[in-house]
Amino acid sequence: MSPQAPEAGRPHLRTSDLTLYRGDRLVLKQVNVCFGAREVTGVVGPSGSGKSSLLRCFNRLSEPTRGEVTFRGRDIREMPPVQLRRRIGLVGQTPILFPGDVRSNLAYGLDDPGRDSLLEVLDRAALPAGFLTRSSHELSVGEAQRVCIARALVRDPEILLLDEPTSALDRYSLQAVESLITALAAEALTVVVVTHDLALAGRICSTAKLLVDGELRSEGSIEQIFKVWSGEV
Amino acid sequence: MEAVGLGLLLALIGLAVAGHQRLRIRSELVITLVRAAVQLTVVALIIEAAFSRLGYSALFVAVMFTAASWTAAHRMSGINQRLWIAAGSVAAGAGTALLALFGLGGYPLTPRYLIPIAGILIGGTMTAAGLAGRRITDELSSKVSEIEARLSLGVTARYALRSYVPGSIRTALIPVLDQTKNVGLVTLPGAFVGMILGGASPVQAAQVQLTVLFSLLGAQTIAATVSATGVARSFVGPGEGLASPQSTAS
Repeated sequence: MSPQAPEAGRPHLRTSDLTLYRGDRLVLKQVNVCFGAREVTGVVGPSGSGKSSLLRCFNRLSEPTRGEVTFRGRDIREMPPVQLRRRIGLVGQTPILFPGDVRSNLAYGLDDPGRDSLLEVLDRAALPAGFLTRSSHELSVGEAQRVCIARALVRDPEILLLDEPTSALDRYSLQAVESLITALAAEALTVVVVTHDLALAGRICSTAKLLVDGELRSEGSIEQIFKVWSGEV
Repeated sequence: MEAVGLGLLLALIGLAVAGHQRLRIRSELVITLVRAAVQLTVVALIIEAAFSRLGYSALFVAVMFTAASWTAAHRMSGINQRLWIAAGSVAAGAGTALLALFGLGGYPLTPRYLIPIAGILIGGTMTAAGLAGRRITDELSSKVSEIEARLSLGVTARYALRSYVPGSIRTALIPVLDQTKNVGLVTLPGAFVGMILGGASPVQAAQVQLTVLFSLLGAQTIAATVSATGVARSFVGPGEGLASPQSTAS
């Protein structure tokens, strides 16, 4: 964890009137949300509601049309994108590993992370040390997803964004990744989980935001979100 | 002229076979024959003029360079500034080889040497630049998610894209590598055949052919590298992101 990590619950990531157009299509409509530090927050909603687009705005893979995102009170456009993306890690829906072994994947883009730090993140991702030399092509989808999370953790992010982290997984792998996310929460990492699975959000998130058609419809406890979402459908 | 007549006779036999088999390519064959005859006659007359003065030869090489750049750029459809990337690739590859061969005294700088050697080198670099550019365009366009996964790990866009450059260069060099490996075994290359038909000894012809092949290998490697790197850079967008290099939908 970063030594200057803010207190639990204090605003860590905030959006103001965040609006995103993709071509003529309005993807996000003046979204105002705040994610507290050291919490696991879900962003839930039906497919195509703008959840993934919201995450992409947080690490500047997408640039909003209007509005802003602030990270620890600072507009992220003022931060170098490379530095921002190391502080706000993003793991996608489908695990994407690069050709080579697990070690080269974990160390991608880093000068010399050292074997000990690589072993430490493998351990945090509940993967044995022997994985370092495994070829990325040999891994199951669940193992690959955990390596992807470990690869983001090597950069020591303050916030971890997970986009549908379990949607491509089988039942066994799903449990392993869920346990990993729960363990990360216990480490006091700020985690934002995008999912269309409210049951998953209920198991791993303390609170959630409900996005429908690019608009923030509700936020609060999972029970509260469940009621609102039931009314929407 | 007798040999040309014999060649034409063979082409007419081909036409007759095409007609008998109802291949429906008779008109295309006739157009192809006439076109080839007209093109080669015009080129022969132009080259004869170009052979008369070094200045004319340089002009002829400039025309070859322009046509090669245009053709290679066509392979990179949708990429911004593709003509500049193609021209830079052909110029870097063929230019370096021509400078070495003529500047360092390999051959005398006369039209008789300049035109054929420049033609071979410009043609080879055109192929390599076009192939490398096409390959990396396809690769980057189909791997947007993978590139974004790299960017999300906090690397610069150039760093994320450079992983795809070597594979594109390797693909572009396959033709020249195969040609060089199998020279004399599978095909007799043009310069070798031309020199023997012109009365040179097989050993002399082999020396020239080796020089051409070795130069081509170097020139095409340079051209493919410049092309793949140039196209990769055209994908770098603002804020260390991916640009939409497709200037128009292609």
